[in-house]
Amino acid sequence: MGIRLNPDLYQTVLQGIDLLQQEENNDLEQMSSGKRFNNLSDDPVAVSQLVLNEAETSNVNQYLANVTTLQNSLQVADSTLNSVVTALSQAISLGVEGSNGTLNSSDEQTLAIQVSGIKDQILSLANTTYNGDYLFSGTAVTTQPFTEDSSSASGVTYNGNGSTNSVQIGDGEYIPVNLSGSQVFTPTGSDVFAALQGLVNALQNGGDVADATTQLQQVFSRFNTQRTFYGATLSRLQSTQAYLTQEQLGLSTAQNNIEGANISSVISNYVQSETALDATYQAAGLISQMSLLDYLK
Amino acid sequence: MGTLLSSMSIALSALEAEQTAVQVTSQNIANANTVGYDRQVTVLEEGAPTSFSGLLLGGGVSVESIQSMRDSVLNLRLDSETQQQSSLSTYVNGMQQIEAIFNEASGVGLASALSGFFSSIQALSADPSNSTLRQAVLNAGSALAQGFNSASNQLQAAQSGTDQEVAQSVDQINDLASQVASLNQQIMSLQAGGEGTGELEGQRDEVLSQLSQLVGISTVSADQDSVTVTVAGGSPLVVGNQAYQLTTGKDAATGMTQVYSQGANITAQITGGSLGGNLQVRDQEIPQLQESLDNLAASLINNVNSANSQGYDLNGNPGGDFFTPFTPSASGSNQGAAASMSMYITDPSQVAASSDGSAGSSGNLQNFMNVQTQNIIDGQTAQSFYANFVGALGESISTASASAEAAGLVVQQLQNQQASVSGVSLDEEATNLMKYQQAYEAAARVVSVVDDLTNFVITNLGAS
Repeated sequence: MGIRLNPDLYQTVLQGIDLLQQEENNDLEQMSSGKRFNNLSDDPVAVSQLVLNEAETSNVNQYLANVTTLQNSLQVADSTLNSVVTALSQAISLGVEGSNGTLNSSDEQTLAIQVSGIKDQILSLANTTYNGDYLFSGTAVTTQPFTEDSSSASGVTYNGNGSTNSVQIGDGEYIPVNLSGSQVFTPTGSDVFAALQGLVNALQNGGDVADATTQLQQVFSRFNTQRTFYGATLSRLQSTQAYLTQEQLGLSTAQNNIEGANISSVISNYVQSETALDATYQAAGLISQMSLLDYLK
Repeated sequence: MGTLLSSMSIALSALEAEQTAVQVTSQNIANANTVGYDRQVTVLEEGAPTSFSGLLLGGGVSVESIQSMRDSVLNLRLDSETQQQSSLSTYVNGMQQIEAIFNEASGVGLASALSGFFSSIQALSADPSNSTLRQAVLNAGSALAQGFNSASNQLQAAQSGTDQEVAQSVDQINDLASQVASLNQQIMSLQAGGEGTGELEGQRDEVLSQLSQLVGISTVSADQDSVTVTVAGGSPLVVGNQAYQLTTGKDAATGMTQVYSQGANITAQITGGSLGGNLQVRDQEIPQLQESLDNLAASLINNVNSANSQGYDLNGNPGGDFFTPFTPSASGSNQGAAASMSMYITDPSQVAASSDGSAGSSGNLQNFMNVQTQNIIDGQTAQSFYANFVGALGESISTASASAEAAGLVVQQLQNQQASVSGVSLDEEATNLMKYQQAYEAAARVVSVVDDLTNFVITNLGAS
């Protein structure tokens, strides 16, 4: 007599069908989600990497958003300072005109009024706001930085502070994003308003217009040097933006590598399971419903 | 010398024996699909011979016994594998509920709330006086706190769910223990009367296998008739005809159901079966996860509060707590930190971004960002800690799933083996039936022939 087998063939068939259906389910889940795993326990190491990848992606996205925000405000500041440069050039031209010695007192008075107008214009530019914040008051963004003040020699007082901000644009990378109004407009010895007022005074009172103009020129060249900060920062932001965009792409590729399903291999697995399942069903159908008992008469 | 009458009685014994054999076959066929039924075999025995004038003449046939085909060693192995498999698969089921709370594979969990909070700080640093961005920081802080609340509450809910299953399992165990005790009683009294108990033993094996689904047990067959069952490393469950019921009570501190045997708390000693698996989830895994979550919450609360306290708010006032401060217990436990985490400040102007009191300063936000980059918990950043937390959770489930699957295969294999010993094969029963039928017919023929011979003797001798 041979080895006795489990007489219940259906049990074995059912176990086989169970396993195959589980595999098919798994494949279908991957196909529908496009992900290699849908549960933590499917690949714990990968999910753990995914969490860190998401943290880094979120940082990089925010750095990029910050770069855009900064670009907007820095561009406003830069173009404001461009207008100041234009206005100062005009004032210098007026000073040169006033110092050639051929003008009469009335002409000089007219020039003085023009220069004074330019000073008012620059004062207004120095009080430029962006999104409601003063751009040149240091970090005291709610305080109007420059106000007219007859008690001061320059006629203008700085009310802001000397603080500057730094913003993070990369892991551990902070970039200073502003100059205080006192650095830009009123540094000791290079006060824009004092120089303009000096020229106005010289024109009005028959003073040494040539000397006042020379002083204004020196202030102008100092101012020009200061304002390059904004251009330089903008160009640094631009290269940072390019770098961050690259990094964003890299992180997204990494994420896809971690969790993306290999669809073609999933489909081929699915087809295999389906074939096997089909065969099992057929085999189950063929298991004889009859036994020897059917032949007993 | 033989006689006709003794031939008749031998044929009669054959008729009786074959009838019994047919009845056993019929019983086997009737129970072909009964779970736990062990097929029976009729064991025939040659009747004691009698010596007659130097000749040894056979004494017919009798039924020696009706044997249940069963491999006790195999059953023991199957029970022990079942306990292991049931414990693992219950553990996996329980842990899968928890996995769903932190399923970062589908974007569920705290990771996005954590990075969302730090992003909101980053965004504010580019425009610190912007009230929309300040409000966004409050919203992100609040979302983070709610994330911790909800994770902690869901962990607790999972723990109470498991606790209910523990109580139910104990009821079922008691019920099955009573059945074993009662079967022990029946088997003992039948065996005392010298009767066969194969079917009852089969039933008892089936009850023991159901018991093995529920809890890890040790069984000892003191003698053939009674089985002693112990749980949790030696606490009696069934001794002879006596079932020792397990009792339950709530732990005063945790509110969790504890299991008692004879007044002693045996909860920590219980392993195996669905009860063992549930207890592992309830008493080891969930408290551990909860502790990690609480530690992370407490660390974030402290560090963010300290960052906010170092700066000045939008109005130039010194900053204070950001989240509602958490005080650890006297023993230093952070229990409850995640569940109670909430915003302390409610006004966006109270975010202390400024390092010098001016509205546009973002200097103090660096202290917030340091909370993200510094190792604030167990020598790791908050986000690495959380990544490892989910990684470890996934790993324990995946390891247990693999073991459960392997144990499941072993159980299937053993069940197959068991069925090959005990399962009813209809073909086999059919051949037996034919065999018994033929033997019965032959014996009946013998009766008929002996009858003819007897008639012949009576008729012919009477006529002369």
